[in-house]
Amino acid sequence: MNTTKRPSPSLSLLLAASAALVGQKAHADETSTAPTVGYRFNVYDEDSFSGAPAIGSDKRYHVDTQQLDFSGGVGERNTLNVDATHEVMSGSSPWYSLPGPNNKPIQVLSGATIRDHRSAISASLTHDAGGNSTTTGSASYSTENDYHATALGLEHTIPLNAALTLGFGGSLSHDIIEPTAAELFGRIRHAEKNTYSAFGSLSWVLNKASVLESGVQLNYQAGFLSDPYKLATVGDVQLPDTRPDRRTEAAWLVRYRLAVTADASFHADSRVAANSWGQKSLTLDASWYQTLPGDWQIIPGVRYYSQDSARFYAPFFGANDASAFYSSDYRLGGFGSVAGHLDLRKQFGRWEFTAGMERYHATTRYALGGADEANPGAVSYTRIFAGLDYHFD
Amino acid sequence: MRFEFSTMGCPCALHVEDVSDDVAQRALAVTLAEVDRLDRKYSHYRDDSLLATLQRSTDAIDVDDETANLFDFAAELHRQSDGLFDITAGKLTRLWDGRKPAQAEIDAALRVTGWHRIEWRRPTLRVTTRHMHLDFGGLVKEYAADRCAELCREAGVGSGVVDLGGDLALIGPHANGEAWIVGIKAPRAEGKAAASIALPRGGLATSGDYERALVIDGKRYSHIVDPRTGWPIESFASVSVVAGSCLVAGSASTLAMLLGIERGGEWLRELGLPHLCIDGDGNVSGDIKI
Repeated sequence: MNTTKRPSPSLSLLLAASAALVGQKAHADETSTAPTVGYRFNVYDEDSFSGAPAIGSDKRYHVDTQQLDFSGGVGERNTLNVDATHEVMSGSSPWYSLPGPNNKPIQVLSGATIRDHRSAISASLTHDAGGNSTTTGSASYSTENDYHATALGLEHTIPLNAALTLGFGGSLSHDIIEPTAAELFGRIRHAEKNTYSAFGSLSWVLNKASVLESGVQLNYQAGFLSDPYKLATVGDVQLPDTRPDRRTEAAWLVRYRLAVTADASFHADSRVAANSWGQKSLTLDASWYQTLPGDWQIIPGVRYYSQDSARFYAPFFGANDASAFYSSDYRLGGFGSVAGHLDLRKQFGRWEFTAGMERYHATTRYALGGADEANPGAVSYTRIFAGLDYHFD
Repeated sequence: MRFEFSTMGCPCALHVEDVSDDVAQRALAVTLAEVDRLDRKYSHYRDDSLLATLQRSTDAIDVDDETANLFDFAAELHRQSDGLFDITAGKLTRLWDGRKPAQAEIDAALRVTGWHRIEWRRPTLRVTTRHMHLDFGGLVKEYAADRCAELCREAGVGSGVVDLGGDLALIGPHANGEAWIVGIKAPRAEGKAAASIALPRGGLATSGDYERALVIDGKRYSHIVDPRTGWPIESFASVSVVAGSCLVAGSASTLAMLLGIERGGEWLRELGLPHLCIDGDGNVSGDIKI
């Protein structure tokens, strides 16, 4: 997680133009050690279930998130970031689906409305060793009624020459799942999973106005990777969602930053990934950062995502479908999504106000090459947020 | 250990500590050699400099990488300052050196000034107007400070500061890890510091009329000249900037001076680098606290 303050567009241009002369150590300017405290309120609201025939409450997930964060210098070369998050989640989620007329799936949603709280705290410390070489260590803990996750990470950047920087790192997390009403619904009572990630990236200053970064990420998960709250219809019966206990994923990321003028920059990101469950995915994201008179900044953007389904995904299975694994979780099905987002920032002296919204729509129709299986649970949502930061001197 | 010397028309110093005499002497030797090399190459007061050679000819000339990097950087500064930062304005700067020129002289100098009178396509430069004077003022001394700091580190110095006429580049913090406390020159008060600040890394540069200003009939004329009008800029008495390198600090302080009190101050705030501006009445602004 890069938690240092972004340099202004003018400074980015100066730094890029000076990089050839004085090397990348000039980029140490990106680090702001003046403390900042901020508060954010985020509302995530999934559209009511309307696409396919459904049984149960049509009110889907709604999450209200409050976040408090602090960043500031510790000593002369370290920057500390601490985030505390509290979420309240409610609504129902897709449970399983049944074959309907013409074999079209009927989505069954969880009967009882879920209401849960999640609290999380994360901290990271970045040490600037000089010469644009930085090391960041991070730790986080998240807890809710039925889920506890602990994660640790370490990353390091080294400038190879004036225009090229190598970054690499790794992280691991340990999650404990203790489903509610386990006895009543025959769910697993206690399960664990571990995730290990490693990544490497190269960042090139192409010229005085643009930077290209390319990276590779490997993720390996082992343990209980099924969703204990979901079922799959196999023939006439509902069986627990059952997935392999290992998953390996490889991803390739490319980021491009172009300072178009002193007041405008273009950001483009892409991610291509494939995993051992037979899923391939593509993400394309483009944003425009425009600074306006009066300390305003407006950031419109669009994102496209497509994934195909896991080998063991189907909205429902025939009694004779011989497989060790079954899942009807919409997140493992094929779909594509399009999202548009718009963020606004305004600075008033030491205060900075941010607000934004995102509209996200997912459907099998948007999947690259079309999805081969129906995905009745595909979600659409609206997200709005507002926040206020205070920058100390 | 402190060594004093003079180059590029300024009093300079090299501060090093926690090193043997041999290493200190080697650091001083590489520093003197480097400032001499850059002065010979880029001085606009010497007839044998590379700049003098470039401006004497109207032929296309391929330049070395270092010079190309400086031209690229100068082109970026020219763009960001809407043409105020202009390395082709050497003739104008010279005109105002120690005297107030006649308007006819200013007009003549303006005819050999302007970025549009050179063609720069890395690595090829062509000066299309005869009698132009290229001037890397605001860049070379600051770049030299960064280069010297780098060479001192390579010579084995871990702790020290290079001071080229008040433009400072950090070699490394004090041996105990603490930052060097450095003085920002007070405008118009010879030898006095306006502020002392900790310089944990990078560089500090000050641009202003405190050193080379011209006073005629009680009016001060700064040595920073607007290349569009040919007249000195009415701006801050001094602008100091702290950045990751002395070069970036120096170009930021020079640009702020050129942009004037209102736009320069706004541009510095947007830039986000620590800075201190002092106007002609001694009013202080910026986020470096005195």
